[in-house]
Amino acid sequence: MRDALLARRSLLAWVVFTVGVIAYPLLFPGSYLLGVGISAGTMAVSTVGLVLLLGLAHQLAIGQAAFSMVGGYASALLCTEAGWDPFLAMLLGSVVAMLFAYVIGAPILKLRGYVLAMATLALHLMLIVFALQVGFTGGPIGVTGLPKFALLGLPLGGDRAYFYTVWALALASVFIGLNIDRSRIGRALRAIAASETAAGSVGIDTARYKVQMFVVGAGMASVSGSLVVHYLRATDPTVFSFNYSVNLITATIIGGLASVWGGAVGASVIIGLRELLRALSLPLWESVIMGALTVLVLITLPSGIVGLISAGFARVVGRSQASRVSLAPFAPEALPPVETRPANGTMLEVTSALRAFGNLKAVNDVSFTVQEGSITALIGPNGAGKTTMFNLIGGYQPLGAGTVRFRGRNIEALPPRDIALLGMGRTFQNLLLFDNMTVLENVMCGAHRHARQGLLPVAFGLPAVAREEAAMRTLAADCLRFVGLRGAEALLPSSLSFGHQRLVEIARALALRPSLLLMDEPASGLNDSETELLSELVLRIAALGTTVLLVEHDMRFVMGLADHVVVMDHGEKMAEGSTDAIRNDPKVIAAYLGSEPVSEHAA
Amino acid sequence: MQTEMFLQLMLPGFTTGCVYALVALGYVLCANVSGVVNFAQGEFVMLGGMTAAWLIGQDVDLIWAIAAAVALGAAMGAVQEVATLAPVRRAPHFIQITTTVGFAVVLRGLTLIVAGKDALSIPGFSGDDTFELAGAVLPLQSLWVWGATALLLAATFGFLRYTATGRAVRACSINLQAARLMGVDAGRLRLLVLAATGGSAALAGVVITPIVLASWDAGIAYSIKGFIGAILGGFRSPGAAVLGGIGIGLVESFASGYVSSGWQDFIVDGLLLAYLLLRGGILLRGRAAAMAGES
Repeated sequence: MRDALLARRSLLAWVVFTVGVIAYPLLFPGSYLLGVGISAGTMAVSTVGLVLLLGLAHQLAIGQAAFSMVGGYASALLCTEAGWDPFLAMLLGSVVAMLFAYVIGAPILKLRGYVLAMATLALHLMLIVFALQVGFTGGPIGVTGLPKFALLGLPLGGDRAYFYTVWALALASVFIGLNIDRSRIGRALRAIAASETAAGSVGIDTARYKVQMFVVGAGMASVSGSLVVHYLRATDPTVFSFNYSVNLITATIIGGLASVWGGAVGASVIIGLRELLRALSLPLWESVIMGALTVLVLITLPSGIVGLISAGFARVVGRSQASRVSLAPFAPEALPPVETRPANGTMLEVTSALRAFGNLKAVNDVSFTVQEGSITALIGPNGAGKTTMFNLIGGYQPLGAGTVRFRGRNIEALPPRDIALLGMGRTFQNLLLFDNMTVLENVMCGAHRHARQGLLPVAFGLPAVAREEAAMRTLAADCLRFVGLRGAEALLPSSLSFGHQRLVEIARALALRPSLLLMDEPASGLNDSETELLSELVLRIAALGTTVLLVEHDMRFVMGLADHVVVMDHGEKMAEGSTDAIRNDPKVIAAYLGSEPVSEHAA
Repeated sequence: MQTEMFLQLMLPGFTTGCVYALVALGYVLCANVSGVVNFAQGEFVMLGGMTAAWLIGQDVDLIWAIAAAVALGAAMGAVQEVATLAPVRRAPHFIQITTTVGFAVVLRGLTLIVAGKDALSIPGFSGDDTFELAGAVLPLQSLWVWGATALLLAATFGFLRYTATGRAVRACSINLQAARLMGVDAGRLRLLVLAATGGSAALAGVVITPIVLASWDAGIAYSIKGFIGAILGGFRSPGAAVLGGIGIGLVESFASGYVSSGWQDFIVDGLLLAYLLLRGGILLRGRAAAMAGES
């Protein structure tokens, strides 16, 4: 239903843009307006790249024009100094820019937020000084006398031919951008924007996708830069100024940050607006109006023009989807089996774990094991160190001393992502869902690790990618049905109740097909009937072959469920055993449960 | 000879460093009370310089021109908070930052429309003569820059230290969330800090203009160098930010003197980039990561 809507919307966008691009030079044959169209097209190539990293992943890499500069200068010099064919020069220029982005990307994208913004800006300003100061770039004069654009000798430098060339490349960027956006890489980028912690918990390699998008964006910016210099038939250090970067960002914001089409729409709108102001003899107003529009759009319409259009489109075509949804109770569908490669029956083995904050030993010399196929509970009063223990197991905090073995492998030095990839899923006490994606997409993020196709097949939309995508979709839908959320696929998680959101999170972790599932206080915030359904769900998860480790302080919940209980207090292990043994352990009763027997406690 | 050259570079570097220090201080105070890194910070310096220079060009007396520039800087700071930052308070962090970039562009654009493309100047407040200090020759205006900076720093640190509101600002810098829970009216503080940093940056812009000229597009350089100062100071302590800002002024001056003025910005920006990349891991674990957030 939603897919059909998306497909129709996308088809409509393609038709509108293709017809528009074909018709524009026929309607406006004059060289001035063709020039305006060419400017918009060159900018669109670049803004589409900006959508991927800034718009989808919210990474403030704002020095996009730096790569336009690298590509622009590279192709200008290749044409004038080495007599290269302009098209080949453009290609080599973008290879150079992408290599540059790849080298600088890994360290620079470790930075976040405003620090990343400043670092990319500094890089850009350094390149401008470099181009001014060194000899081979021609200093302040730059490179002049570029040949007209040509493709392997085929002249494309005429206004109309160049317009079509530029827009063909712009639509090619849109095609690549859309393919990425709709793939698991696109979901990974949105996951990075929403919560890198949650992204890591399902095995998404956030650093890798950031660098990939930095490189893709650099490639597009570089092609855009080459197109600009071939149109100007010259370049100098002022062409790709800081203002140029700001204009790209403005265009992307106004068009719609969260959508690839937004890049193309924004570029067209911005260039059109600029020419309008020039025509009205108000060129000085350009910067004020651009800045004010940026602020205004950010405040009132964060999804930009495209967001506005697609909301309107959804209202007309899709009507209200929410009204058709009914949440079915637990459906007894089965899920694909989990990998069971046990290590002598021991799923997890924690030995002498230690974690200290200053003088406080939050976890002090704790050892326990989780048997394969069991439901093990880690209980203890508030401040006992349960959640810290959990974070140590999952790699979210470094272990001070001791070891953690998962399926026979030492994992204490691994980051959460690698631990997730080994088959350990987790849920979070306070819920970490991706609020910028639908429920189904959230769960599909959990299935991320089952797919193999990388950036290139994804970017070009190869059939293998579609097959994997369909498999992930089926698995995610199955997981949602398994937890009892049939019909909620197309909703945003924030529109669900807290209890249902918790189920989405469990479904997301299940989509990993984890050998071990860590659940951090799954019953917290749930009412009695929800808690009962949750118990049933946990039992069914275990019946599927997934070992479960719970942190919980709802005693009644644990006692009806767990095969094995580990009790912690003040950072130390106080007792361990079957529920019966724990129930009757005088130490546990005294320290944690009070003097009455557990079964009469409602906790 | 060597010492003379050193001083002849150091003292002017110190003078521009004073301006960077005030910008850096503005960054830190702003980030402390609002969690937002305000990339429009340097534009207030530009705005102050341009406003005063333009008014003097219209035959307004120096003292009134200064007053008007400071008032406009403070007013624009308040406008930024009320019109652009308050509405996106709950938006993802990257949107808040981008909003400040948008506001910076508006300030530049408005200045361009009103005052034009040309760089403007102001005669030195005490004439355009020079004086000698330890063998270095400096414009008399340097004394005004140092004096104004000392005054603004004394006022700021006195305010932070001795007033209840100042203590609230410091509380925010230690823990914004806790300060709010303790009843600190964060909205009022933000307005105050934005206006105060806008006004003091504008004053810095006025006093430096006789030495370096004012131009509509000069703000970005102040924004960047002030930012470097703030980040060298850890982006948290106002005092460290001031030292960082002065340090950048010195580095810049030495780079232009001992290497070349053409490469000066390359060196300063390169220093920033290298520092950020090397400190990346540490910054991520510290407060910067918390403020940069996940959103």
